[in-house]
Amino acid sequence: MWKAFIDPFRVARPSAPRANEAQSAKTGTQQDNRKRAKNWRGTLARIWIYLAERRLKLFLVLFMVLLTSGLTLLGPYLIGIAIDDFLARDSGMLWIWFLVALGAVYILNSITSWLQNVWMIEIAQETVYRMRSDLFAHLHRLPIPFFGKRQQGELMSRVTNDIENVSSTLNSSAIQIFSSVLTLIGTLVVMLWLSPLLTLLTFIVVPLMALGMRWITKRTGPLFRERQRNLGELNGYIEETLSGEKIIKAFGREQQVIDDFAQRNDRIRFSGFWAQTISGFIPKLMNGLNNLSFALIALVGGMLAIRGAITVGVIVIFVEYARQFTRPLNDLANQWNTLLSAIAGAERVFEIMDEDVEEADEQGATEVKQLSGAVEFKDVSFAYDTERSGDTLQHISFSAAPGEMIALIGPTGAGKTTLIQLISRFYDADQGQITVDGKDIRTLRRSSLRQHMAFVLQDSFLFEGTVLDNIRYGRLDATDEQVREAAKLANADTFIRQLPDGYEQVLSRDGGGISQGQRQLLTIARAMLADPAILVLDEATSSIDTVTEIRIQEGLQRLMKGRTSFVIAHRLNTIRSADQILVLREGQIVERGNHDELLEQGGFYSELFHSQLQISS
Amino acid sequence: MSLMFSFLKKYRVAAILALLMMLIELTLELIQPYLISKIIDDGISKQYMPSVLLWGGILTAGTVIAFIAGIFSSFYASYASQGLGYDLRDALYRKVQSFSYSLFGQFATSSLITRLTNDVTILQDMLFMGLRFMLRMPLLVIGSSVMALIVNVKLGLLLVVGVPILLLFVMAIMKRAARLFERVQRRLDTVNNVMQENLTGMRLIRVFVRKQHERKRFEQHSSELMNDTVSALRLTETTMPFILFIMNASIIAVLWFGHRDILTGSASVGEVVAIINYSMRTMGALSAFSMIVASFSRARASAGRMDEVLTAEEAATHVMSPQDRSEQAHEVMAQADDKVTAQLNGVNARFDQAAASDVETAFKTSEQPAIAKMQGASATIQTSAIYGDTIKQDHMMADGTYGRSQHKKRDLVVLPGQAGYAAEVELEGVHFRYPDTERPILTDISFVARAGRMTAVMGATGSGKSSLMQLMLRLYNPNAGTLRIDGQDIASIPEHELRSHIGYVPQEIVLFTGTIRENIAWGNEHATLEEIQEAARIAQIHDTIVSLPAGYETRLGQRGVNLSGGQKQRLSIARALVRKPSLLLLDDSTSALDVRTEAKLLEELGQLSCTTVLITQKISSTIRADKVLLLQDGRLIAEGGHEQLLQASELYRRIYASQFGEEELQHVEGIH
Repeated sequence: MWKAFIDPFRVARPSAPRANEAQSAKTGTQQDNRKRAKNWRGTLARIWIYLAERRLKLFLVLFMVLLTSGLTLLGPYLIGIAIDDFLARDSGMLWIWFLVALGAVYILNSITSWLQNVWMIEIAQETVYRMRSDLFAHLHRLPIPFFGKRQQGELMSRVTNDIENVSSTLNSSAIQIFSSVLTLIGTLVVMLWLSPLLTLLTFIVVPLMALGMRWITKRTGPLFRERQRNLGELNGYIEETLSGEKIIKAFGREQQVIDDFAQRNDRIRFSGFWAQTISGFIPKLMNGLNNLSFALIALVGGMLAIRGAITVGVIVIFVEYARQFTRPLNDLANQWNTLLSAIAGAERVFEIMDEDVEEADEQGATEVKQLSGAVEFKDVSFAYDTERSGDTLQHISFSAAPGEMIALIGPTGAGKTTLIQLISRFYDADQGQITVDGKDIRTLRRSSLRQHMAFVLQDSFLFEGTVLDNIRYGRLDATDEQVREAAKLANADTFIRQLPDGYEQVLSRDGGGISQGQRQLLTIARAMLADPAILVLDEATSSIDTVTEIRIQEGLQRLMKGRTSFVIAHRLNTIRSADQILVLREGQIVERGNHDELLEQGGFYSELFHSQLQISS
Repeated sequence: MSLMFSFLKKYRVAAILALLMMLIELTLELIQPYLISKIIDDGISKQYMPSVLLWGGILTAGTVIAFIAGIFSSFYASYASQGLGYDLRDALYRKVQSFSYSLFGQFATSSLITRLTNDVTILQDMLFMGLRFMLRMPLLVIGSSVMALIVNVKLGLLLVVGVPILLLFVMAIMKRAARLFERVQRRLDTVNNVMQENLTGMRLIRVFVRKQHERKRFEQHSSELMNDTVSALRLTETTMPFILFIMNASIIAVLWFGHRDILTGSASVGEVVAIINYSMRTMGALSAFSMIVASFSRARASAGRMDEVLTAEEAATHVMSPQDRSEQAHEVMAQADDKVTAQLNGVNARFDQAAASDVETAFKTSEQPAIAKMQGASATIQTSAIYGDTIKQDHMMADGTYGRSQHKKRDLVVLPGQAGYAAEVELEGVHFRYPDTERPILTDISFVARAGRMTAVMGATGSGKSSLMQLMLRLYNPNAGTLRIDGQDIASIPEHELRSHIGYVPQEIVLFTGTIRENIAWGNEHATLEEIQEAARIAQIHDTIVSLPAGYETRLGQRGVNLSGGQKQRLSIARALVRKPSLLLLDDSTSALDVRTEAKLLEELGQLSCTTVLITQKISSTIRADKVLLLQDGRLIAEGGHEQLLQASELYRRIYASQFGEEELQHVEGIH
């Protein structure tokens, strides 16, 4: 029977699934937010650990809830007494004192309920703040491969929506559930004490409610699912067609999409109508049965009162209690659902916090003060432990003298990026040794090693902020003058000054306002400012048109000067001047040497080189 | 909000019925305390059982009727709100589809999506709730007050006095809270934004070792969020205790004065009980008041956002609106048709003449299949897509205005989708900047893309290449200058007609949910499977498709196969080819293809009869082109064949060197 109360609301509250849609539309994931938690107890225990940090306040809140519930029960009871004992007779001062007492109860009730809510909100927000901070800190300890494995949107949904969900639930639902249970029990006890018969009468409606809800649920469940499906489909269609509006216009397909849309729209009207209508019966049913119990109490209570079995006051108390009695039931059913989804949300957040962190630096790892940039690989082998068996490295050995430019080429999946990730210690080699300035990199602090490296990656990542701040990210304590200097060296100064706000121009993450090539120039300036000993260019210019690339190359040449650099590139012309070219294939170095040597060898490199030339002749 | 009401008109019967039913339900509920007072005063106090049974019976019967009325109000409310949702979505979608592309560009796509999905649902739910529930609250408060006054004017006044105070208080709180919550929302956005930045930029943050910096930033925003949330909620949480306080105060007042009046005989116990009951109902209704105001203002904001879309107007530029223009074009065509009919004989006569003298002939009509057949039959006569005025063109031809290309001017009209025709594209002094921006994108562009040939456009990102194509498609209109297709100003060609002759492959690949076949056929819904396969073959994707488990019926997208970038590119090329266009526009559409596939594709494209305009970064593509246009900062800085440009353009030479190396360049230069 209990379940029957709760079930209907799971489908009857359209607001919850809709929130999901909005989220999934935003994040692009189709996950169901209302999935149940897998490990209830564990998740609750962990939430408790957070809450327990504010044990004292929490205890106070619980005390207030207890008081509030008691006072809420006391109010109607006192009114009943007033009607029976005072209203129709003159009891002098006693009546005044009674009213003062009643006033005190009311005032106290207001105060306690205010305190309980405000304190709970403080606890909730502090808890969520701590969870957010922990999560954030943990994200920064996770190994880089973690971010590659996870779908960005899904991860984002966890760290934003799920946490928000926990936050709003802790704000109100937790307390409401507790006080609902208390009020329910309290009401029941007082009612039974006053009149068992009328209590029974009040309860007659409960099975009716259960039955009615079961009837409704049976029908709304499938209807809501269908409505959700149709709505999802419609929203998907809207998203798809509006994102592809250009092509719709260019192909003159406007009328067809309007017709298609109308069809989908119609489907949702039909399923939506019945889902909404039938689920709309639930509050009506609750209300109707509530009124019915009200009427029955009045009728039967009146009959009993005439026989002298009860007083008018008891009827008044019952009428009020009956209303109070169904309200917590309603609340419970509503909040229960929110609570469940919040627990599931918390669990998803905790799942991330349980991910293994990047291994700590080895005992006795040292700081790197100065680095000349000599890098050596000694028989290094590495394989990802996961399903991506393709990207492995086998017996890689080479050495780069300070200031040398090492180019890595080879087909996709040959292990070029993996090799670079080993140098920066995003992964550690399974076998062999990598040394920097003759020291095994495992004996160096990760952060201190990376301090001496700079990356220019294919996806030029910019933060929301000014141009100045974005370049300064390379060295936080750089002066404006130094930033400008770096920008000049990177060939970025000219275009920056042409921006409406120059260096103070605020950039958005999706790169509004500046071109891909310009973004790339900014990241080069950033690397320039960092002044690293080791530089990594991972297909830094591959998404840029050749005309722009010509401009960027100059900046890159200046950047590479005097630094050991590793360059991954597709376009061979960009690496012709490399001191060493390593040709990787299936995780092995198959050819090595400089441009001319490799051409003479007549292997993969020369073949590739000539195939790029072929077309011209 | 007026938007909602204007859309609601269609459903006013249902809406009124829903309200009426709700009103019945409410009225029956509101007389309940009154009936109780009757039971107490007429029944219990007088120890008169029939009175109890009568009033109790009425009470019970009223409950049942109220329930039935409630069910019906739900039914009608649902009907009205679903209908409203349907109409709103439909109207919005139609409106958006009728936007010109430049107007479309003024809305962020994501915001349009939200307006069509979330905002509609919000308004729809608000109407449903409003009809069944929200209006109930104020009505309940008013009804309770009125009933209390009816039961006993003096005691009722005690209740009524409290209500306006509460309303004012709740309103004031709401107003302040709305501002606070807005701030909370902004803070939340910031926090989530930092989260997102950190997720996407994690690698960068690691290599620059900026963990501490980011943590500090995050915790600062996060604590701001916490503090603002607490202070906003603290404010709203005062509402309920305050309502409790005031209402309870009036209950005490009712008890105090009720007691005195009962003793003087001017009130009864039942009346006091009834008024206390009304107070308590009012209290319940008022506590929901803040929620109603909140969702109402949310719905109003949604309605406002939708209104923006529905009332969006095409910017008044010096060019005519698309409707005007297509109307004008229809007029021109109608006139032309008249003339054509009049001249039909003449034309045919000239046709004979022309064939005899081996001069290509002019005739125009889209309603002469016989003539169209003749076009097909005559191999010497190339046809092209064109609309316009025969006389005028004849005249111009006589002037020699159109003698530019080696193909002599023809003004033949072909049926859309008919294969084998090529259009000549001519730009003259075209200037362009995006609406509401200052920066010129294209400055004084003039060139001719010859019929049946390939014209390559090269230039840096942002040099205006893609904009050039959007002008040819008339997604945007130039600010000055003219674009002509086969001599016809494209501004006078109905958009739909113009575009039906163009095959466009955009830079960003857009495929739709559905099968591969459907995606290709999207370009031409009448295409047969053979035509689809042929298009796929030319686009070098046929073999790949056949190797997929379900072949052409393979589903793409969310639950389907994920193709590589290069495969998607070729698929979108096939989609353009299946239209059998007379003008093919490729916007950097071979970037993800490897050298060999690209070569084969270009080879095939070169054999097509249509005119091709190709944006590219690769010298390997420009070599095949009839003409290369070099754009820089929106200006055409060089124009000519590959060899010509190698000699004439420094930039072109540098691009060449960057792709093939200095030695190769010297080698090539040595040859010349």
